[in-house]
Amino acid sequence: MEKLEKIDATEKGRNYRILLILSVFIFTVPFWAGLIPGSILHMDIVNLMVLAGTYACAVIGLNLLVGYAGQISLGHAAFFGIGAYTTAILCTRMAWFPTWLGVILGGLVAGIIGWLVGVPVLRLKGHYLAMATLGLGEIAFILFTQLKGLTGGTLGILNIPSLSIFGLEFDTEFKLYFLIWAVVMLMMLLSINIICSRVGRALRALHSSDDAAEAMGINTARYKTMIFVLSAVFAGIGGALFAHFLNYIDPASFTFFLSILFITMVVIGGMGNIWGGLVGVIFLIFLPEVIQGLPHWIPLVPESLTNFGNYELVVYGLLLILFMMYMPKGIAFGLSRGTSYAKTKFGHLRDRISARKYEGH
Amino acid sequence: MSEQDMLDIDGVTKMFGGLAALKEVSFSVNRGEIKGLIGPNGAGKTTLFNVLTGVYRPNAGSITLNGSSVTGLRPDQITSMGMIRTFQTIQLFEGMTVLENTMVGCHTWTRSGLFSSGLKLPGARREEEKIREESMVILKDVGLDTRPGEQGTNLPYGQQRMLELARALASRPDILLLDEPAAGLNQYETGELSQLLLSLREQGLTILLVEHDMGLVMKVSNEVVVLDYGKVIARGTPDEVQNDPKVIEAYLGIEAD
Ligand SMILES: Nc1ncnc2c1ncn2[C@@H]1O[C@H](COP(=O)(O)OP(=O)(O)OP(=O)(O)O)[C@@H](O)[C@H]1O
Ligand SMILES: [Mg+2]
Repeated sequence: MEKLEKIDATEKGRNYRILLILSVFIFTVPFWAGLIPGSILHMDIVNLMVLAGTYACAVIGLNLLVGYAGQISLGHAAFFGIGAYTTAILCTRMAWFPTWLGVILGGLVAGIIGWLVGVPVLRLKGHYLAMATLGLGEIAFILFTQLKGLTGGTLGILNIPSLSIFGLEFDTEFKLYFLIWAVVMLMMLLSINIICSRVGRALRALHSSDDAAEAMGINTARYKTMIFVLSAVFAGIGGALFAHFLNYIDPASFTFFLSILFITMVVIGGMGNIWGGLVGVIFLIFLPEVIQGLPHWIPLVPESLTNFGNYELVVYGLLLILFMMYMPKGIAFGLSRGTSYAKTKFGHLRDRISARKYEGH
Repeated sequence: MSEQDMLDIDGVTKMFGGLAALKEVSFSVNRGEIKGLIGPNGAGKTTLFNVLTGVYRPNAGSITLNGSSVTGLRPDQITSMGMIRTFQTIQLFEGMTVLENTMVGCHTWTRSGLFSSGLKLPGARREEEKIREESMVILKDVGLDTRPGEQGTNLPYGQQRMLELARALASRPDILLLDEPAAGLNQYETGELSQLLLSLREQGLTILLVEHDMGLVMKVSNEVVVLDYGKVIARGTPDEVQNDPKVIEAYLGIEAD
């Protein structure tokens, strides 16, 4: 039985190790980010990473839904927005309202709405589910714009207070960075545990075949709803953190474009790869910045690249197509292939070196 | 129906448009027996399995499992009540290992949910260990314990069939519905399968066996039911059925086409 424990445990153990190493890395970033020639690239790394962290919450959940359970959502910006508006409304209307509670309620409200929407919508499959979730995103956007009394309409909500938890103020990017990435890492830990569990197996099973999963006693409708709600909660928390980070929100932050960006992040990072969400978020948050920065430090690169925002969508669309065609498992899969390749190469090298040593003796 | 019936099928009719795939099919499966279900291609055997397991709703008739009605219940509910099936066309879970496929089968008797799994609470951890141990024991029983980390869909055809059987057994069923488990198996594998079925019966499992391999059916079945054009045309011991003129005609009639 010992041999067996390993088969299953290695994957999980490996993921825990990666999570630990990644956490150490992520939490040191703010200390050395200022030292690298970031100014050349005209990037504020800490600022971008905080934004990436809020998006990561949504994308990690979306990867569970799309990558593992095989259910599409083209409307997750709705949940991100619902989380943001929930805490923004509560904390600006009532100055005494604890911001941390606003974030939790943001996740909760997004989850409840996710449940109300998910129960009917998840009966649909493929294109129909895609269209329905697309509609969800549009309706949410219209409500954010039209419920002026509550949301402030197109002007949005200003002066959202910074996060504070029991007197601990997260009023600078530097401080917020640690809080947000702690939340992201916690979500990663939850995801790893879920994927390697009874629930995770049920989700992967229904992804493969609804009929076969049901024949195994899995209530597919219930599990689809469950993971949809969880992904909505993650997105809602991400949105709430986003609101407290920018201190200002308006409907333009939660459009169809954001839903597509989330999906693109999942696909490019790696659908059904536990690290795919994170990789996709960081890649796509930094890509435009790097491209816009190119003209500043490489001569002869056309100035027009600084207007990347104008053709951002085209580039994302192209990336989506190219990845679907040539790298459907995403960057994260490529990375893990790369490291195992490097390991075997390095291993050979090490063997050769030690072999030579022995010859020398 | 009598006390000892595991499964009672009463007047089940299933229409596909104008075609009656099943016409008032009635028979019962006794506790602890292997019942063979045979019939020419298109007789309605798989359709009966689909009706029994809740994939299709019958147009008429009722199905009673272990004394309680399962007519109109969802497939997952019926499986949880102790009746599980395998598929005529293999349906293993893609991207999952041999062990994981079997572990999915344990879904029915385990309870860990999103919270206890996500937080790795002690209960979920213990349950996970139990699932893994039991799955491995079952894989050993069907002779698939050598490479549990292999992708299920990468196994040779015959072993994929055995893995489907293992996955079904992992649910701790009372009654097993097998849809042509010997299809595609070589002679040696078929022999192993018949040994396995007999030992499962020994352990008290009830089995409804759809199979075209007459040698296998006649060897392991206590009783055989014959279906033709959606109707039960004969039933009895393997010997009785084999010598029944109606059965011979049904099979010869098909062959003469
Ligand atoms: N979903 C369906 N829609 C329409 N007709 C169907 C459907 N499923 C089965 N049938 C028809 O019902 C009849 C019985 O089919 P079924 O698959 O149950 O036969 P079978 O006894 O399992 O045959 P085989 O031995 O070839 O597996 C056939 O005529 C088939 O074409
Ligand atoms: Mg059939």
